[in-house]
Amino acid sequence: MNHLNEEQLIELYYSHDGPEAARHLGECTQCARTYASLQADLADLKSIDPPPRDDSYGEHVWRAIAPRLPVYPARPKPWFRQPLGLGLCSAAACTLLVAAAFYAGRVWEHRQAPHTVAVRPAAPAPQRVVVVLLSDHLDRSERLLVQLKHANADDTGLASPLRDEARSLLVANRKCRQDAEHAGDPALTHALDHLNQLLSELANQPGGLNAAAIARLQNEMNTDGLLFEVRVLRSRIPNRQPGQNRRLDGGKA
Amino acid sequence: MGQSDQATIQAVLAGNKDAYAALVAQHSRSVFRVAYRITGNEADAEEVVQDAFMRGYRKLEGFEARSDFGTWIYRIAIHCALDRITRSAERNSRFVTDSDSEADAVQLPDRTPGPEQVLLSREIGAFRESAMHCLTPLERTAFMLRHMDDCSMEEIASALEIAPNAAKQAVYRAVQKLRQRLALLKVKT
Repeated sequence: MNHLNEEQLIELYYSHDGPEAARHLGECTQCARTYASLQADLADLKSIDPPPRDDSYGEHVWRAIAPRLPVYPARPKPWFRQPLGLGLCSAAACTLLVAAAFYAGRVWEHRQAPHTVAVRPAAPAPQRVVVVLLSDHLDRSERLLVQLKHANADDTGLASPLRDEARSLLVANRKCRQDAEHAGDPALTHALDHLNQLLSELANQPGGLNAAAIARLQNEMNTDGLLFEVRVLRSRIPNRQPGQNRRLDGGKA
Repeated sequence: MGQSDQATIQAVLAGNKDAYAALVAQHSRSVFRVAYRITGNEADAEEVVQDAFMRGYRKLEGFEARSDFGTWIYRIAIHCALDRITRSAERNSRFVTDSDSEADAVQLPDRTPGPEQVLLSREIGAFRESAMHCLTPLERTAFMLRHMDDCSMEEIASALEIAPNAAKQAVYRAVQKLRQRLALLKVKT
């Protein structure tokens, strides 16, 4: 490594950061001597100390400059700290509070509304109507099945009323089956499906409902089993008040 | 910055001029030290201290709350001192010439201790101080900040509003010039 120049030595003196230069100083007596001379010169200059000043120096300075300093004009208070601003702020805050309370009340009322409807006495009525309709339907179906069970193959006069009653019951049966499916009652749904097949056969028998057809249906459709199912289902339905079914089904019962 | 400094500044800006006295009392001695080192004489340093605090007072509205008041007024003092020695550059050059003649008087062959030796030491000190006047204002200020106040090159560059490399070069030139002057003193003594 070449000898260090003065600038490098000065940088080393102030930064104390230069491993290569420091290593060189350890090896090169000429640079080390030059560096020692630099240190001595700069150390001499450290001795230039300012004359001391006592604790009262600040007061002395202040007394000298105070007469020449203007006074800062007092800053005007922000508008919201002035009396009028305070009033406006208060009014705005009150308005906001009232609006918030009104809105909260509306929200609360809205949330409470469904609960109010749920506890109305009239609410169970549709369910009751459905129950009554099902009960009537099962009554009529039971009577139809009893008539079919005891139908005489030679009694041709019975065929036409059975077919008419079956057609009438088909619509109600579909509605009841739909309700049963919605209500999640598989036993009722299955029974009404079975009943639906029988009613369809009775209502739409090709060539009319004759003695042979009635006999076939009694055998194939297991009307006895179906009658038993209907009776069981009827027993599950709560008792209705006398005369109510007439009001609900238009007096057909 | 201390909470009290910030509160004091707010009080001054709110119209309480006397509150500024507390800031002056707290920072005036450190401002004097840097002013003296840059100007090199007591009278100029006194003027710089007053000038710095007056300038600081007038700029107080622009003072940023997150800054340190001590550092802020220190920088103002550096600028005031630099301005002052720049303005009096002609007088300083005359002072250096006078000092040369003083330096010539240092040639004392007799090294016997006593009043003469004391006088010699004083005159050597005066010579060293006068050597500072061979520097340009920028070199002198940069050197003082680096050598006396241990400021980093970045701090010097920031205070003098120059590039860091320019600050470094100013310090190097100052050291070179001072060593040349001190070499003359060694030869003469």
